[in-house]
Amino acid sequence: MKLHSNPWLRTAYARLWVRAKSIYGEPLWVAVNIGFPFFTSFSLTMVYRAYGLNSFTGFAILGGVMISFWGNVLWSMASQFNWDKQVGLFEIYITSPAPISAILVGMSLGGILGTAPSAAMVAILGWLIFHPPINAIWPAVISVFALTLASLYAMGMALSSLYLAYGREADSVNEALHEPVSLISGVYFPSTGGFSPFPLAVQAGASLIPLTLGMDALRRTLFFGQGFGELYLDLELLALAVMGVVLLFASSKALKFLENKGRRTGTIAVRQR
Amino acid sequence: MSIRAMVASIRVGWYREFNWTNPLTGFSLRTVGPLASVIAASTVYYVGSTNNIPPSFDPSRLAFILIGAALYAHVAAYSWVPTLAIAEGKWTYVFPQVYISPHSSLPYLTGRTLASFVTSTMTVIVSLVLSFYVLSSVFHTDIPFMVNPLSVSLLFLAMLVNILAALGLGLLLSAYALFATKFEWALPTYVAGLLMVFSEALFPVSFLGPLSPIANVLPFTEFMRASRQAMIQGGTVYSYFSYLGLAALGGIIVLALGFLAFRYAENRARRLGVIDKKTA
Repeated sequence: MKLHSNPWLRTAYARLWVRAKSIYGEPLWVAVNIGFPFFTSFSLTMVYRAYGLNSFTGFAILGGVMISFWGNVLWSMASQFNWDKQVGLFEIYITSPAPISAILVGMSLGGILGTAPSAAMVAILGWLIFHPPINAIWPAVISVFALTLASLYAMGMALSSLYLAYGREADSVNEALHEPVSLISGVYFPSTGGFSPFPLAVQAGASLIPLTLGMDALRRTLFFGQGFGELYLDLELLALAVMGVVLLFASSKALKFLENKGRRTGTIAVRQR
Repeated sequence: MSIRAMVASIRVGWYREFNWTNPLTGFSLRTVGPLASVIAASTVYYVGSTNNIPPSFDPSRLAFILIGAALYAHVAAYSWVPTLAIAEGKWTYVFPQVYISPHSSLPYLTGRTLASFVTSTMTVIVSLVLSFYVLSSVFHTDIPFMVNPLSVSLLFLAMLVNILAALGLGLLLSAYALFATKFEWALPTYVAGLLMVFSEALFPVSFLGPLSPIANVLPFTEFMRASRQAMIQGGTVYSYFSYLGLAALGGIIVLALGFLAFRYAENRARRLGVIDKKTA
């Protein structure tokens, strides 16, 4: 199938291109994006190291890598349609024949491409400075990483429809969500399983967030040498895949609902600031 | 500096932070982040130390991290407010209006910083208390805090003294923000990250090796040390006031530098015509 003959693919490609171009067209973005995840990851790695816990230093570096993507999901996926609405772009999306799902998927792929350099820099710098012990099964690491990003960005798509319904609350909700989700997802330490200090109910609740399962699965494959065929890892991969599909479906339905509601009530282009 | 203008700016700061919703919701949303970051940093230590072979968990180290993480969140929350006030003010035309009214930019930035200081003091105290109870019960440990009227008063005094350094840092960053037309939020992010590493927020700066002398001269590091002397069992009044004196001295120097840099930048920005420039 040729790209130019399929409107869905053309739309997704166009949105991906715009997002990727906005990052790679301004190389300073990479330097800018690396600041927060690198220093947080560095400090928490130092906590592990300063208190003689060298074998866990990789957890904090991996956390720095994944927090870059989580930040991108919150600020560049979930809030994006709300910002697009404020500048009048969203009504163009709606009135054009471009499928909204293609815009979301293009935005996600562009976001992943744009965040990858800064995430890679955190990983490289962390590895060069701290030399964390790694015992990786690489095919499993790559599969888990891909599935985690897929379900994480699907969550971003679902949140984007939720945020669209709100106005300036979106920024404050984002700020409020960032740290608590990082905490219960165990970005810098295991929040589920045997190492977790949290009660079982909290662990169960946390497991409903794709980031939690993804972080746990990444730690298993990257540091504990687990690969395909390990029961718990396979279950986590399956859960991540199911979450990705469900969230993708939910985001599509929610956006359609908000679009129809916006058309009926005449609020689709109303800017809320 | 006009006190009236500064008080008006404090009110503007609070309206900016809370007027989009009711104060309780706004306050809750602002507390959730610091609370989670304090618990996360403490949990990193707990998970690592209890799973170490042999286990090396020490409640006084947990107290060290808990205080440091909370106060770091406090400093990070308000020290970059002047930069935000300028960057956001350029986009909303507020800052050029403030600038053209006589002698208003400095009281405006100071007032916005003080408003945010009060807000973040409240949110950090709440998150410190909540995280103390949450971590004590989840980790089944006694965190060796010293909580009495004197220790709490000494903590507040240290926070007040630290305004000097934080405002100075804010003015230094503002001097840059006057000229920046893109990524103006990036430099404060880097500075906040560097503070996390160099202010002894989470680990003793002696672990930084040859870089530790840099950390030792920062007023923020002395502020952290003074606060720990006040709040953690084993601290002494002599050590507290020694660290507080160093924090005050360093704060005055940073404030003076910030003031000079901002005045120079303001004059230069006016000559270059960039006070209201929004795009590169």
